[in-house]
Amino acid sequence: MIGLAIDSVLALGIVWLALQTVRSVSMLQAVLMFIVFGLLMSLAWARLHAPDLALAEAAIGAGITGALLLVTWRRLQADGHDPVDSELPAQSKWLTIPTACAAALLIVIVGWIALQLPAVPGTAGDLAWQRLGEIGVSNPVTGVLLGFRAYDTLMEMAVLLAAWLGARAVATTYRPGALPGPVHVEVPLVGALLSLVVPISILVAVYLLQAGGSAPGGAFQGGAVLAAGGVLLFLTGRLEAAPRTSGLERVGLILGIAVFSLMGLMVMATGGHMLALPGAWAIYLVETALLLSIALSLVLLFAAAPGLRRMS
Amino acid sequence: MNPSAVIYLLTAAAVFGIGLYGLLQSRQILRQLLSINLMGGGIFLLLITLGGGADGRPDPVPQAMVLTGIVIAVSATAFALALLLRWHELSGSTELDADAIADAIADAVADAHDD
Repeated sequence: MIGLAIDSVLALGIVWLALQTVRSVSMLQAVLMFIVFGLLMSLAWARLHAPDLALAEAAIGAGITGALLLVTWRRLQADGHDPVDSELPAQSKWLTIPTACAAALLIVIVGWIALQLPAVPGTAGDLAWQRLGEIGVSNPVTGVLLGFRAYDTLMEMAVLLAAWLGARAVATTYRPGALPGPVHVEVPLVGALLSLVVPISILVAVYLLQAGGSAPGGAFQGGAVLAAGGVLLFLTGRLEAAPRTSGLERVGLILGIAVFSLMGLMVMATGGHMLALPGAWAIYLVETALLLSIALSLVLLFAAAPGLRRMS
Repeated sequence: MNPSAVIYLLTAAAVFGIGLYGLLQSRQILRQLLSINLMGGGIFLLLITLGGGADGRPDPVPQAMVLTGIVIAVSATAFALALLLRWHELSGSTELDADAIADAIADAVADAHDD
């Protein structure tokens, strides 16, 4: 009963925040509403028995996406005004609400029918639970990500790399001061805060990676937390944009894909299936590489720069 | 049927609908990106709700797919935001409409001919 009440309040909050995201006149307010929407979504994931998603949504969905949206808003702001929506032509305006309602109704109908269907034994999920022991980890989501559907995870890393390459390709101008506004380098509290928060972000990232084998967590959540530490260093001026991608950064960006592919191919050489990682040690090795690549890609995307260096 | 599953099904549908409405009613690229992310959130919620997340042993396959989806969403959003910054740099606008795009293409073609 209490569970149902919590679900109802969460659902109302999520829908209200989604409405505010599209209805706010101020774009900054819309972005902030979207970030809070992500936080409530992560509570909903926890209620739906998906703690891995709750962590990912909080760290990536609300955290990193929110930071990217805010910094882009700030960069657009550099020349003055908060952009406001212009009026649509009348005929388009009257079609938007019926179209959106029809799409929502379609989802309700499809979902309703799917919920009525009897449970069929032998789904991919059942198989994953049954054969989890062969993978060497006890968290089923990590098992699926790095064991049963490793191709997806490898391609996901390729998408992240492609996103970074794409962002580099379109940002032709190099702006060292890409983040407008004063950087409070000299405020003493900033240094104290960083010396506390950055080590904790590293600790939490390593914990999430290690816990991912048997409890909620994993490379993606850990990578996002590590990236948050990097974003903080960039925002407080400890790191600044560099005009070139250093060799170390290049290695870091492709480390995840390279280690994952090499491990996958090595298994083939010893007679196994491609990407069928041989045991928990291989999963942790690959995840460590993934974590570093994810964190570096996200920080570089945030900085909108080819590379980073220590503030001179 | 689990009442929680019904609640989250309705939420998923509402969030997707609101996202689609936001995408259609705004020309601001930033708002359109927020709306697309909302639509994605609605679909993720639908997948997990149908994956039996609301009762018993959850199905790890949709969870892994949604986790992948969240990372893909942030990658695509980051790339789109880079495109937005570039578009703003080139056109001075944060909106997309047919006239502005036609102008930008005409400028690019003229530049190419000059070279």
